[in-house]
Amino acid sequence: MSVLAIGRTKARTRTVSRQTRKRRWIGLLFLSPALLLYGVIVLVPLLQTVNYSFYKWDGVSEPTWVGLRNYLEFGRDPRMYAAFGHVLVLILMFGLIPLGLGLISAALLSRAKIRGEGIYRWFLFLPQVLTSVVVAIIWKRIYAPDGPLNSLLRGVGLGHLTRNWLGDFTWALPSLGMIGVWGGFGFTMVLFLAGILAIPDELYEAARLDGSTRWQEFWLITLPSLRGQMAIALTLTITGALRTFDMVYITTQGGPGTATTTPALLLYQLAFVNPDVGRASATGVVLAVLCLGIAVGITRIMENKDR
Amino acid sequence: MISRFERVSNYVIVIALTVGVLFPVAWFVLTSLSPNTSGALDFSNIAWSNFTAAWHDGNLAHSMYASLVITVSAVIGQTILAILSGYAFGVLGVVGERFLFPVILLGMMVSTEVIVIPLYYEFQRIGLTNSWLGLVIIQLGMGVPFGTYWMRATFRALPRSVMDSAAVDGAGVWNTLWRILVPMARPAVLTLVLLSFMWTWNDFFLSLIFLGDPDKQTATVALGAFQGRHVLQVNLMAAGSLIVSLPVVALYLFFQREFISGVMAGAVKE
Repeated sequence: MSVLAIGRTKARTRTVSRQTRKRRWIGLLFLSPALLLYGVIVLVPLLQTVNYSFYKWDGVSEPTWVGLRNYLEFGRDPRMYAAFGHVLVLILMFGLIPLGLGLISAALLSRAKIRGEGIYRWFLFLPQVLTSVVVAIIWKRIYAPDGPLNSLLRGVGLGHLTRNWLGDFTWALPSLGMIGVWGGFGFTMVLFLAGILAIPDELYEAARLDGSTRWQEFWLITLPSLRGQMAIALTLTITGALRTFDMVYITTQGGPGTATTTPALLLYQLAFVNPDVGRASATGVVLAVLCLGIAVGITRIMENKDR
Repeated sequence: MISRFERVSNYVIVIALTVGVLFPVAWFVLTSLSPNTSGALDFSNIAWSNFTAAWHDGNLAHSMYASLVITVSAVIGQTILAILSGYAFGVLGVVGERFLFPVILLGMMVSTEVIVIPLYYEFQRIGLTNSWLGLVIIQLGMGVPFGTYWMRATFRALPRSVMDSAAVDGAGVWNTLWRILVPMARPAVLTLVLLSFMWTWNDFFLSLIFLGDPDKQTATVALGAFQGRHVLQVNLMAAGSLIVSLPVVALYLFFQREFISGVMAGAVKE
């Protein structure tokens, strides 16, 4: 290549890169409204929450610096223990049960075309789009002392099992958990069905030639191929459990006693009802770190298995 | 390929699951039509008047209007912001994008609870609590991460040749976006609009905190208050709930595919 040609290419790259650079400034201009709003509404408050968590403040008078005390008192507050303990039960019911049910039903249903697929999918997915407040009101009615669940139990001769489900210290929390099972199941099933459809048929054919049973096919092919979808389902349902608010606020307000309090409900009460803003912020920070940790952790575990 | 037994059992499973999910909703719909305030079903007397009664008693006209104004403003704003920022990241490139894009994506991991406390006290200080505008601004800011992610992926998936030929034709940066790219990306924009509508309309937490004044309340918060007051009029409570959930359910009826694929794509993002 002649020197002249090299010189020419260089000149061209320079003009191109100058053009590109100009375009990238225009890009920043296009981005700026979104970036500004995002900064003001998300980033700055995020840092402020961390800052608030080092103060004792009732929301009105002058805040006082208390260092890490809000975090240290965490471990001594029985309300916090209760709230985070309840989350463990909710995780089990929101996360693991829909995961299992979704896997089984998706594995069964993926084997043959089912007529009216659009219709059943519409209904199974409905809880995902229904207003959460309405979901809570529906279930409050189902569980009411004179509600359909108790009528049903009486009708089949199990009258001794009837109770005020949401007012019962033992049963209120599992009853709330059932709402999560009901709402999450359609989501996991649709997710897993899509995942199974993406598995190449050859894998199953090869397994069949080797004489595998359907059970082995499920364990050796379907389940490992759905690892990504399972990670997504677990992350979403577990962080959903950690953040439960609307449902508890509408149905039980955390009661009876503190039988159904959740971290988000405590945060709301501490921040806005009986303000102890520093403590509320510390709760928020712990909640955020847990959510992030769980998301990262699950992704890690699922990726590690890949290797 | 599969046995007759399996085919039949598949239908049994599907029907059982659907009935299980549908039962609470169906019961509730029937309750809303019952003349009995106790919620006992009565098929011989269908009380359509429950809906008008709930509409008046629950102050729903006012709060549905509030929800509509807030939701429509937030949807329009979020969509425009998403198109602009998606175009910036996906097509134009942005100064400092190696840093800016991850920072914006981080927002998808930030839950509302973590930012709501300082937002409330700051907004109270500058008089933006109990204001529809205040809530819309919050919704706009919180919608940026998903919107940016969504429209960036959409624009990147469009064939590069379209943009090059637009550039050859001398279309400016602005016209290329609105005349050529946005029309091509219509399905993705529709999905974004639907998701954004659903998320804003269904919101309870933010409306509860930022719109304490009963005159400003959204439909979800008004409904929450209504069900607290009307424990003895179950049929009205059910009717009110159906009214509040209707807009999203109606959209879902027409755009099932967009809703399901959108929620799924939104989930997979992380």
